[in-house]
Amino acid sequence: MPGLATMSLDNMFCTRCSDGFEPNEKIVNSNGELWHTNCFVCAQCFRVFPEGIFYEFEGRKYCERDFQVLFAPCCGKCGEFVIGRVIKAMNANWHPACFRCEECNMELADAGFIKHGGRALCHSCNARIKADGLQNYMCHKCHGVIDGEPLRYRGEVYHGYHFTCATCGVELDHTAREVKHRPGYAANDVNNLFCLRCHDKMGIPICGACRRPIEERIVTALGKHWHVEHFVCAKCEKPFHGHRHYEKKGLAYCEQHYHQLFGNLCYVCNQVIAGDVFTALNKAWCVHHFACSVCDAALSTRSKFYEYDERPACRRCYEKFPAELRRRLRRAHHYTVRR
Amino acid sequence: MSHHPTVSCIPNTGKMSKAKKVIEEAKEINNPEIDLVDKGISSLDEIPSLFTLENITRLSLSHNKIQVVPAALANLVNLEILNLANNHIQELPVSLSSLPKLRILNVSLNRLYTLPRGFGSFPVLEILDLTYNNLNEKTLSGNFFIMDSLRALYLGDNDFEFLPPEIGNLKNLQILSMRENDLIEVPRELGQLSRLRELHLQGNRLVVLPPEIGSLDLASNKSVLRLEGNFWVPPIEDQLKLGPSHVLDYLRSETYKVLYSRHMSAKPPPPAQTLDKSKKASRAA
Ligand SMILES: [Zn+2]
Ligand SMILES: [Zn+2]
Ligand SMILES: [Zn+2]
Ligand SMILES: [Zn+2]
Ligand SMILES: [Zn+2]
Ligand SMILES: [Zn+2]
Ligand SMILES: [Zn+2]
Ligand SMILES: [Zn+2]
Repeated sequence: MPGLATMSLDNMFCTRCSDGFEPNEKIVNSNGELWHTNCFVCAQCFRVFPEGIFYEFEGRKYCERDFQVLFAPCCGKCGEFVIGRVIKAMNANWHPACFRCEECNMELADAGFIKHGGRALCHSCNARIKADGLQNYMCHKCHGVIDGEPLRYRGEVYHGYHFTCATCGVELDHTAREVKHRPGYAANDVNNLFCLRCHDKMGIPICGACRRPIEERIVTALGKHWHVEHFVCAKCEKPFHGHRHYEKKGLAYCEQHYHQLFGNLCYVCNQVIAGDVFTALNKAWCVHHFACSVCDAALSTRSKFYEYDERPACRRCYEKFPAELRRRLRRAHHYTVRR
Repeated sequence: MSHHPTVSCIPNTGKMSKAKKVIEEAKEINNPEIDLVDKGISSLDEIPSLFTLENITRLSLSHNKIQVVPAALANLVNLEILNLANNHIQELPVSLSSLPKLRILNVSLNRLYTLPRGFGSFPVLEILDLTYNNLNEKTLSGNFFIMDSLRALYLGDNDFEFLPPEIGNLKNLQILSMRENDLIEVPRELGQLSRLRELHLQGNRLVVLPPEIGSLDLASNKSVLRLEGNFWVPPIEDQLKLGPSHVLDYLRSETYKVLYSRHMSAKPPPPAQTLDKSKKASRAA
């Protein structure tokens, strides 16, 4: 590559504005691309890079701040941006140093991890917990050791035999269900324990994903009920948390994956089409944007239109085309019909 | 040289007042989409109030007689769609490329022979329609191929003999139309456009295609590949009779790679130009 000094100013142009350079003007040379100092700016904020530091993404250059805001994921533990190596695990992103065993705090990024009861554990902690069976719980009422799984009630653990079902009076075990909220009851009136059979008869909604009752915020979609955190994209498994979801064949998808899998983006606005879809010429349009590509006049399903480079042209526009173009389009049309 | 009197001196009052009415109404109800299609406008300077509509997102000016696009049009900083199809435009102001939200620009059916230097710096342009003008590879602006936000590029009915290899930079391109140009060759870099779903190459002077085209996803039922009306070597022509997907299969074969490299090193003279373009409306001056 010729050095700057040996290149003639006459054929040197700024990558951004493609104007030339003044003699003795300071020129930025980044990987052989030349820029006016004022043109070498962040693609997002158009400001000069602080201390000359920039990040590149898909051919564009960004200042550190905008790069982080636009592209860097947030760490699930410390909440800071993750630049460099990103650990994707447990439905979140992490700094390698922030993704650690929840028992012994060992770094898991390279060692690998095992999901146990919703927690990320290192192999040895997981093995130990499994061998211990269940941790040794102590009953909150009698202070005796609980063999096997405890009954959980108001955040404490108990022997099941201290309680009976609020409806049928049967003695309870760890499968008992605690009900905290019931429509029409004050919270301190409920907080009751029920056996599984009585609980099922109460009609408390069951989550379509984990099959457990939903007593707090509920999402109703796809004809089922869901825990907020269990209503997730069928592709990336991230919860929607109130963000828009798109349904297809009984499954729900986030916008990005719906588009990736099914591609019904409006040709004009490039957004996923939520309502009615117009499809023609291998393209799709939202209701607002199905229009003649030459004059932008709205088209309807009944409108007659002409194909023009696989786009619709309304009759008025077609008739305003130069006669020689119409002739060629007609010939091309015959060709495609013949095939 | 024209001997007709300058038409714009005699304002077509009927149609002109219509244009002004559209603008007044838009102002009143704050309509962000302005239709000034077929209003007999020959100069935008006749409707200065247009330049005060800073909030509009779409401006459609198709089927008028506009010759000059004033640089001040770029003051409409909220424009997302600008449609100038079928006018008499010979030149565009570079200011358009600074429109920060412009996603769709249609300058088809005009009389462009060149594009201004710096034309490629549109920050968010997605669809660029330059169909039916007088452009070729020598008159494209130097930074034309930095528009990597483009998803559709329409250059049909122009005068390209070669497609610059920098086309490979337009990584988001899904649609490329080069219909009825004078293309003698297309570059291997076309094979880098992995999102391409529509490729129009019909009506050119092509004889072979780079084998890299075979790797593009142009055979699915949502894809379009138009190849007819060229001067293909017999094996490509034979496959084309069976359908474009057969051509793609053939391009991927080892036999074809040998044929292609032999053809490229032998460099036979290109087929003669067959389209008579002198009658194109874009040539009128
Ligand atoms: Zn510059
Ligand atoms: Zn962290
Ligand atoms: Zn551990
Ligand atoms: Zn019971
Ligand atoms: Zn659940
Ligand atoms: Zn997803
Ligand atoms: Zn749309
Ligand atoms: Zn139309």
